[in-house]
Amino acid sequence: MSLSSRLKGLVNGNTVALLLLIAFLAIIPLTGHRFYMYIATLIMIMGMFAMGYNVLFGYVGLLSFGHGLFFGAGAYSTALFTLKVYSDPLVGVLITVPVALLTSIIVGVLTLKHGKVYFAILTLALSMIFWSALVKLRWLTGGTDGLVGIPKRGVFVDVSGPIVTYYFILAFFAVIMLGLYILNKSRYGLLLRALGANEDRLPFLGYSTFTLRMVALTISGTASALAGSLYAVFYSVVTPDVAYWTFGAEPLIMTLIGGPSYFLGPLIGALIFVPLTTVVARFAEYWMLLLGIALLAVILFFRGGLLGFLESLSRELKLGVYRRWRF
Amino acid sequence: MDLTPFLTQIFIGLYKGSLYWILALGLVLIFGVVRVINFAHATFYVTGSYMMYTFYMYTGNFILSLTMATLIAGALGVAFEVAVIRRVYKLETIYQLLATFAIALIFNEAQKLVWGKGVVYIPIPEALREGVSIGGVTLNYYMILIMVIGLLLFIIVILFMNNTIMGLRIRAVWRDPVMSEALGVSTRLIYTLVFFVGAALAGLGGALTVPLISVGPGLADYLIVTAFIVVVIAGLGSITGAYIISVLVGVLSSILVLITPELDIVILYMIAAFILLLRPQGLFGER
Repeated sequence: MSLSSRLKGLVNGNTVALLLLIAFLAIIPLTGHRFYMYIATLIMIMGMFAMGYNVLFGYVGLLSFGHGLFFGAGAYSTALFTLKVYSDPLVGVLITVPVALLTSIIVGVLTLKHGKVYFAILTLALSMIFWSALVKLRWLTGGTDGLVGIPKRGVFVDVSGPIVTYYFILAFFAVIMLGLYILNKSRYGLLLRALGANEDRLPFLGYSTFTLRMVALTISGTASALAGSLYAVFYSVVTPDVAYWTFGAEPLIMTLIGGPSYFLGPLIGALIFVPLTTVVARFAEYWMLLLGIALLAVILFFRGGLLGFLESLSRELKLGVYRRWRF
Repeated sequence: MDLTPFLTQIFIGLYKGSLYWILALGLVLIFGVVRVINFAHATFYVTGSYMMYTFYMYTGNFILSLTMATLIAGALGVAFEVAVIRRVYKLETIYQLLATFAIALIFNEAQKLVWGKGVVYIPIPEALREGVSIGGVTLNYYMILIMVIGLLLFIIVILFMNNTIMGLRIRAVWRDPVMSEALGVSTRLIYTLVFFVGAALAGLGGALTVPLISVGPGLADYLIVTAFIVVVIAGLGSITGAYIISVLVGVLSSILVLITPELDIVILYMIAAFILLLRPQGLFGER
């Protein structure tokens, strides 16, 4: 393949949209508006969480109700490491990678051998165990009060200013999005999606479904844990809430809103979900109720999510651009 | 060594286990027959609790409130099956799970809206407050009643499934829905019936809980996870297994509270995880 055709292959709806989004996120601090920066940071963190989640849900077709476990593991390992071992946010974030790998492998061994239904149940159960451990091990985790005062000023990096924190998170966001994009375009990504499309056929081709699912879980878990870790750095506080199953269901909801069979679906979901919930939660105490109703409507009537809806709309209008957003 | 605290915990475990069983039974029936994992099952249970509380507050009649709570939870189950679950039978398993999950979310929040974020409870009926003393520990009649109801339900369900025509039909649908349909069994009717029974049982369990344990938000989350653990260890689809494991989990968790109050639940789940590693199909599962 010649270089120019390779380059042409890279210019598609996904790359352009992703680059535009990153550029847009990069100029937000220039407005100097703290609330916009706050929302944008949350979008990045939750977007990472949801994009990581979708490696499992959209690619491999496994439904996890326990992703709060990975997010929480990331958040707590950063918090504990920076508070008790070595006070540096960068090292604190990077330390979550080995933690996440280990967590993913343990979770995978326990859950992946039993089929999809068991996977959903067991991930929920594991995340609840983790949550109750966080609440009960007061001497280590601070119980329901959580851990406070996660340092932003460290030996290698100092992210104590709001703008520095913002770009620190943006850098991780961009790297993870790039990584996921490469995975998506690679043959391995294709293999993972093939597993989601037909799990019975892949063993005939000589692939181990267990190994592939484990790889997907590890990638998904690591991205989620990194999101959790940045969450801890951003707020300087972690509480067990981040490991609770309702929080772990948020990436699922975002993915469903955006569209699980599109690369950027979860991120689009986060773009809608985060501002909406942040604003709505301010005046409607029971917004989770509305969320549940919206979720049910999406499941019953719009299973393709927003992007799926746009795709069928553009097909209807014969615009011909719809294929570009798919994986 | 004084064994009284252990005995107390065993009694508590026995009635808690019976409540877990009443919840798990509906879950097993619905999964076996309808093949849907019902995430909303514990919300039926909690609905039963809240209904019991509300009716008791207005009427003061224990039996009436219990009946109403059971029936309302059952009706809710039917409504849920007809309005939501029927639409997702033909979809992938994942979307069935998601639909029940969305319902659980909606009900949890709606209950917070109606009954507030605090806990509710009602007193144990006058006649059942007395108790018998076993080994120096007083066990009141209400706890005994719950254990008896649990055991009776087990006997009734087993007899019903094995000795009646309806039970035969349900078992037929359990084994092979398509073939049963071909032989003239209305699977649609049986699905709705099973949802009614499952939800009504959950409602009954929830209603029986209110005099013993304060009911509030978060209980459903805890219960559904416990019920899942029970059902998974027992093996999805095993009624006898669900009964035995429910009681065992109840007793074991109560004793663990005594030994390691810090980590009672965590240790229990670890045992569960270990069993699953050794026997993925569960202790009583067929596969």
